[in-house]
Amino acid sequence: MFTYVLRRLVQSIIVLLVVMLITFTLPYFEPNGILGPAYIVLGTHATPQTIHLWGLQNGMDHSYPVRFWNYIDQVFFHFNLGHSYKQNLSVWNIISLYVPRTIWLALSSLILTVLIAIPLGIYQASRRNSSFDYIATGTAFVLYGIPAFLLGILMLQFFSFGVVHLPASPPGGVAPWAMFTNPAGFILPVLTLTLLSIAFLSRFMRSAVLEVLVQDYIRTARAKGCSRRQVLFSHSFRNALGPIIIILGLYLPALLGGAVVIESVFNYSGLGIQIITAATTLDIPTVLGITLLVSVLTLAGNLIADIMLGVVNPRIRIQGRGQ
Amino acid sequence: MIDNHESPAGAHDVVLSDSQLADEIVPLWRQRVNIFLHNKFAIASVLFLLATVFFCYAGPLLYHSNQTDQATALNVAFNAPPSSHHLLGTDSSGFDELGRIMYGGEYSLSLGMLAGLITIVVGTIYGMISGFLGGIVDTIMMRLLDAFLSIPLLFLLITLIAIFQRSTVFLIVIIGVTGWFGNARIIRGDALLIKKLEYSQAAVAMGASKWHVIRRHVFPNSMSNIVTVATFSVADAILFLSTLGFLGLGIPAPQIDWGTMMQNGAVQQPNGFWWEIYPTALLFVLVIVAITYVGEALRDAFEVRLLER
Repeated sequence: MFTYVLRRLVQSIIVLLVVMLITFTLPYFEPNGILGPAYIVLGTHATPQTIHLWGLQNGMDHSYPVRFWNYIDQVFFHFNLGHSYKQNLSVWNIISLYVPRTIWLALSSLILTVLIAIPLGIYQASRRNSSFDYIATGTAFVLYGIPAFLLGILMLQFFSFGVVHLPASPPGGVAPWAMFTNPAGFILPVLTLTLLSIAFLSRFMRSAVLEVLVQDYIRTARAKGCSRRQVLFSHSFRNALGPIIIILGLYLPALLGGAVVIESVFNYSGLGIQIITAATTLDIPTVLGITLLVSVLTLAGNLIADIMLGVVNPRIRIQGRGQ
Repeated sequence: MIDNHESPAGAHDVVLSDSQLADEIVPLWRQRVNIFLHNKFAIASVLFLLATVFFCYAGPLLYHSNQTDQATALNVAFNAPPSSHHLLGTDSSGFDELGRIMYGGEYSLSLGMLAGLITIVVGTIYGMISGFLGGIVDTIMMRLLDAFLSIPLLFLLITLIAIFQRSTVFLIVIIGVTGWFGNARIIRGDALLIKKLEYSQAAVAMGASKWHVIRRHVFPNSMSNIVTVATFSVADAILFLSTLGFLGLGIPAPQIDWGTMMQNGAVQQPNGFWWEIYPTALLFVLVIVAITYVGEALRDAFEVRLLER
């Protein structure tokens, strides 16, 4: 188990370094090149001489590999992701202000999704081809074809401007605990994100359980006299858990991407609104910082999923093949 | 060439005439076309997509309105509900909604198709090379792909747009260049499988070059997957373009696409101006569902197990 975790960890770090190489190289392509920040920092004092001097002070004259090493050093050991072009804050400050808000949104919908989608998938698999199964599959198919922003708009139409008058937007500001002090405003965003995820996840759960249900050990268990329910929840559930954990790990980027769109629809200031504002105002360090953070979260999610997979399924940690 | 025609032993004692034989041997591609044609929903989807393309590209020639001319839009009531004059009302700039849907559709559809084309070309080349060469090249190329895949796609798109500025051409390139990762994985799996099959091995044993094996064996035999994946790629490209449009990062101002139109409509949503959003949204969702359905039908048609039912 230990070597398995270690190998996956090393793999993730290598991938992270490649991602950092990408986020490090991209600023070379911005309109003012890597000296872009100098124009912002110096403002009206930006002359060719002062810009050159700023470049020297910040090590811009070093070679590409040396600069990359400095970048890694700054990011890893000093949490220095640069300074925002538009807000008078460091990128790290912006991230630490808004990341809890996005995490609460994503996490609460993820928990709801797991609580609903897994039983739903198991039930659909056990009542395969029943009318309930068809309705649930059909609904999932429709939800799957609707882009996140459109589902948000429809939710607003029905539950905010329609019959029910739920708040159309969560409270503004930067309070990280807003979800708990003022939950009414969060019903619609969380519900929208959850619906999208359920449509995605319940299909996988259904097919994973179906795949397990035809195995020999299920028949054996039934033959030994286990009840249908016992087989469904103790035998098939644990064996179907593997694929679901992988899917959850892979789903993380989509969840974060969905959160960006949902934040934008419901006007909830989190990382999503920040990165979109930064992108429209060409605040490149903020965009790169948030992208790097989200990539780290994704990598961590995949790593945790793989390790949990090893815990659930002994075959993987003994054989030592994660993917 | 065709060996899927198996005559059951003893069933035909009568010698078949030539014409009867010709009836029975159906070329493989014809069988696939038949499977596709049997799928009524798939035919309906194709017809619907053709109708939509006709509506968007030929529509403006037949339906004259102020969909592109800002000057003529100035004399029109803004946010006017549907009337005989403006069949689907006008938007918040006074443009005719119906004409706008056609005009926006031209951009959404052509950008989606071009970006989808890029994803499939790049994905196929990358996947073929990686899967066919194998070994250390494959490992490096796949780890690189892991790195690309661990940057969530939407964030990668936003980052590239922020750095390179947005223009119509650049949006095509950017969506194409970031959309091929998944395709490359699928095509690589195909290439890995096909190069191990007997006919590829035989070709190698007879001294065929790598390029020859890729061109004559691996590529034609993964064509089914390539076509299917291409269909889904176009749907994905249209979806991503619309999401970017909705986030305000889509096609720049004088031009418009369906995503940006829905964004503009969403702003008017609290006022109850339904005609500015739902007609566009309905057409958009139907197009996406139709393309996805055609993709699924193509996958069925290429599925070997469904042949010779």
